[in-house]
Amino acid sequence: MSWEKFVSAIKRQHSRCNGSLIEYDLTPYVEILHEIKTVQKTFKNKSDLQLREISKQNIQLVRQSGLSETHLIEAFALVSEGIWRVLKLKAFDVQIMAAVALHREKIVEMQTGEGKTLTAVFPAYLNALTGNGVHVLTFNDYLACRDAGWMGPVYTFLGLSFGCVREGMTTRERQKMYRADITYLTAKEAGFDALRDGLCTQISQQVVQRPRHFAIVDEADSILIDEARIPLVIAATGDEPIPDTYRTAELVHNLKSGVDFEFDDYARDIDLTETGVKNIESALRCGNLYAYENIETLTQINCALHAEHLLQLDVDYIVRAGEIELVDEFTGRVAEKRRWPDGLQAALEAKEKLTIRKQGHILNSITLQHFIQFYPKLSGMTATAVSAEAEFRNFYDLGIAVIPPNRPCIRIDHEDMIFKTKAEKERALTDEIAMIHESGRPVLVGTASVEESANLTKSLLDRGLKCEVLNAKNDAREAEIISRAGRLGAITISTNMAGRGTDICLGTDSKSERKRILDLDGLYVIGTNKHESRRIDQQLRGRSGRQGDPGSSRFFISLEDDLFIKYKLSELLPKAFAENNADGEIDSHILRNEINRTQRIVEGQNLEIKKTLCRYSSLLEKQRIIVFEKRNRALQDELAVDLFRGLAPEKFKLYQGQIGAKNLKDRCKKIFLAILDKAWATYLAEIAEIREGIHLHRLGGQVPFFEFQKVAVQRFDKLLETLGEDALTIFNNFEAEGDKLNAPSATWTYLVNDNPFENMLGFLQPGNTKINIDPVTGLFILAILLLNKIGKNKKS
Amino acid sequence: MMQGVQSMFKIPELKQRIIFTLLILIVYRIGGHMPIPGINSAALLDFFSEAQGGGLLGLYDLFAGGAFRRATVFALGIMPYISASIIIQLLGAVVPYFQKLQKEGEEGRKKITQYTRYGTVFISAMQAYGVSIFLESIRTNAGLSVVPDAGWGFRLLTMITLGAGTILIMWLGEQITERGIGNGISLIIFIGIIATFPNAVLDEYQQISGGNRAILTEVFLLGVMVVTIAGVVALTQGTRKIPVQYAKRVVGRKVYGGQSTHIPLRVNTAGVMPIIFAQSIMFVPQTVVTFFPNSEFMNSLTRYFDVQSAVYWFIFGMLIIFFTYFYTAIAFNPVDVADNMKKHGGFIPGVRPGKRTAEFIDNILTRITLPGSICLAFVAILPFIISRFVNVSYNFASFYGGTSLLIIVGVGLDTLQQLESHLLMRHYDGFMQGSGRVKGRRRF
Repeated sequence: MSWEKFVSAIKRQHSRCNGSLIEYDLTPYVEILHEIKTVQKTFKNKSDLQLREISKQNIQLVRQSGLSETHLIEAFALVSEGIWRVLKLKAFDVQIMAAVALHREKIVEMQTGEGKTLTAVFPAYLNALTGNGVHVLTFNDYLACRDAGWMGPVYTFLGLSFGCVREGMTTRERQKMYRADITYLTAKEAGFDALRDGLCTQISQQVVQRPRHFAIVDEADSILIDEARIPLVIAATGDEPIPDTYRTAELVHNLKSGVDFEFDDYARDIDLTETGVKNIESALRCGNLYAYENIETLTQINCALHAEHLLQLDVDYIVRAGEIELVDEFTGRVAEKRRWPDGLQAALEAKEKLTIRKQGHILNSITLQHFIQFYPKLSGMTATAVSAEAEFRNFYDLGIAVIPPNRPCIRIDHEDMIFKTKAEKERALTDEIAMIHESGRPVLVGTASVEESANLTKSLLDRGLKCEVLNAKNDAREAEIISRAGRLGAITISTNMAGRGTDICLGTDSKSERKRILDLDGLYVIGTNKHESRRIDQQLRGRSGRQGDPGSSRFFISLEDDLFIKYKLSELLPKAFAENNADGEIDSHILRNEINRTQRIVEGQNLEIKKTLCRYSSLLEKQRIIVFEKRNRALQDELAVDLFRGLAPEKFKLYQGQIGAKNLKDRCKKIFLAILDKAWATYLAEIAEIREGIHLHRLGGQVPFFEFQKVAVQRFDKLLETLGEDALTIFNNFEAEGDKLNAPSATWTYLVNDNPFENMLGFLQPGNTKINIDPVTGLFILAILLLNKIGKNKKS
Repeated sequence: MMQGVQSMFKIPELKQRIIFTLLILIVYRIGGHMPIPGINSAALLDFFSEAQGGGLLGLYDLFAGGAFRRATVFALGIMPYISASIIIQLLGAVVPYFQKLQKEGEEGRKKITQYTRYGTVFISAMQAYGVSIFLESIRTNAGLSVVPDAGWGFRLLTMITLGAGTILIMWLGEQITERGIGNGISLIIFIGIIATFPNAVLDEYQQISGGNRAILTEVFLLGVMVVTIAGVVALTQGTRKIPVQYAKRVVGRKVYGGQSTHIPLRVNTAGVMPIIFAQSIMFVPQTVVTFFPNSEFMNSLTRYFDVQSAVYWFIFGMLIIFFTYFYTAIAFNPVDVADNMKKHGGFIPGVRPGKRTAEFIDNILTRITLPGSICLAFVAILPFIISRFVNVSYNFASFYGGTSLLIIVGVGLDTLQQLESHLLMRHYDGFMQGSGRVKGRRRF
């Protein structure tokens, strides 16, 4: 064993001991790479037709004997040669290694500009050989169609079909696209189609029509982690009357902050005060607002308060063409088809004086995370995988392979500039931009919100600096703005939108411009805020230093930034800084460490919340599969017919005589499916309600999750039990009740509201009788408690 | 019941977990019989049989499952670990550094575990030193020394062996929590207590066969035990449900059987802590007295602070009632609860959120804690009463109440619940085999 191998073996062992699954060691991949390259050399002399012939043989071989490691080398060599002949692109060694890792179900970390689109072609081709369809899940609709159009010819060259699904396609178009060997689409679109398929009453209406097989997820951390909690919701427009939210909105608008209500912007809380409650009660003449019968009014008021004071125009949402459009916190883009939960959405529409749209009732929902888990085989790519290692391992059981860039990244990440106040930060920021701009070096500024980007643009214009703005409001011009962002003298102000999936090339076609920019050290990226997740910061930095280009990045932060106020960083600071009145930059290692630590704490808390949520939903997912299978059996087999024949034989015979066997079969199906869907929708709503308050059990020293399990299993069993009865009622009175069974369709997605649990008290939780402590420690604990209690009393 | 047991063993994973737990517990019991090096076990046994029963020694012995009596490698039991973790938890409430760690999620928890382990090593080393000094000091009535070669060599050796023993128990406990059933640490305490039961029963049998006690008395005693256990179960599980409504996000939905959304207020929110505190306090005069063996006043005091005296019972009981209220106030803060509910849009129907809600909860809690605390005091005193009026061994009497019975019941109920949870998690596995259109990934 050579020394390097020995060292790498130790390293592997070490990372295994730490419980992490990060692979830095690429030795196994290098060996395969050499084999692939050797095989590819033998393809050089073959004609295009001969290559296609080899590909066809491969398909046959794989379909006969299944996919094995031996196919990998030839297939990858074929793809590599195909890419060269069709696109005149040469696949780099690192890309091929990344492709091998993708095939082996890893999350691959590759830097921006290293050609992820190209990399995905290898495993997509290999796994599509089985004939089971591979889905490449892209970051957005635009990328899905771009990548499919770009890489498609390679698949065609090798004798496979490809397709791309985008929003707004008809069922027939979708069916065609899903039938292709390789389909490019967004994860959300794939999830929605699964939900839609789950409501079809005829097999021919289903769009996917085959089991899911393999998904390659682009920007994996964004899709699999940041967006994983957002449930995809399919809802039907209901007949419920539109609530008069204008009136509540007006009422709430007239309430005074600090008098009628109190709010804590950073904890996202808003509460009515005693006075506020009394004022509302007298305005509405409704008696005790908290009485049982006033719950709807109260909910409306809560929603209106939330909409009025906690959701900000141009930060959380924008108004465009008379509609509310949500801005995604992580990507800074307009979140298509996403809505807030009904009450809040209506309250917001009332606040902005828009038409209040009809509310719907939820038919089914699934989180992206659980949907993705329907794929038996899964892998992904992103530039920031390592810092999300724990999440990938916990939620998807996926390891990470770190692929080095083709040319080493020489970007310089400067230390953060820290200021005491926001004003000081802004001044220094504009000074810096002006100074850098003088040399002509391109600058990209990443801000936190639409509002901030607009303000910064204004203050730059005031100083006579021309700049481009990229935010959710002008996303139509995204491609154009990005294409100019790397040019000489460009200043681009952006939100998180420029943080992911954008590739900023230095200079344009002219070589002299590019050379001048390279001499100026490339693109300078400035971040004006630190995000809760370090990955988002890294993504922003990653815009610079593409493919070995020079570049640098720096964050300008102030102690008044939202992140630090929200998590009360200033309280944790050494006193010397808190009292330091000096202007300008604070240069302190302690402070930098504290800031990093704050981000770590926030990430830790978010992971905790996600884990809890995942534990709760895993039970629901099992139940979902049972419902799903029942549904499929009713759809494809005779489940429904058998059921009614068994339950009501006489009526069954009667109907058969009246409408014939085939029509009766359809009717049985229709009734059963409608009842099942309705029961499931009701169950979901019920569970959501229970879930909301389940954490209260902690107060009795009980484990909330156990209580949840008990209730959920009980209710679900009841659902299955009553299913037959309910269906029978409709079956028996079909003439009277049958027309209630109209299949609905309309889809939106929702944001979730999660209840973070309070600190676990461990041994000290209420009602604990499971510990024993010796008298000496007992006295010690008593002393601590007494001292602490006294200390608290003194303070208050 | 039998069906439940059957289905438990039908699930391979559960079966594996149960067997694993039992194996670990057997390892723990074996270690509880291995004496530490450098002592004369026979002399030690003599000493303990001469100095029967209670006091600090008896208490420690009880926690360690008789391991102390035999001066085994597990003599310190799991207690240093529990002490260390409680102290670290309390530091979390006082010291900002620990506060931050607690909030840091997995990273922070790893660090806290690390500190707890260091703390365990430190505490067990201190206690082991005390044990070694104690072992060196004792002589049997025949004047035999328990430690033939006293001195620093023996002390160091004891510190190392006992410290290592505690760390090993802690590891065993963690293994159970991770790969077995229930909370390993609790189960180890549980087994420690239960382990004395066969001996206690044997004692009783000898009493009867020796003609010292009528069968009828024994039947009565067993009857009382059954009633007490039932009472303790009721005390442990007794809750009052306060309904809670949420009105934050969604309008216009039906209200579903709201019974699962409630605050379960415990009759005994303070758990076992009041008894522990009361024991600690009562322990002080007992210890002080031993420092003044010749004082007349102290000797008269001893009479009152003997577990057999009614004065002791009274003071002990009153202390428990006091500490129940004291600790309930710490473990359950109605103002925090009300604030938290308000934050998430919850309210008790008919009661305004905030101050009113806090008062409402506080009122109910105060009212239900009174019977709770009286019962707790009674349960704590019962073993003393039994051992005074019916001449039973201290070991046997301890199953009539006190911390032992509370722990047994608490851990028992908890473990059953965990078993149930495992069963529920697999409740649907049977349904899902077969038609495999959906085959999920390994993790679901």
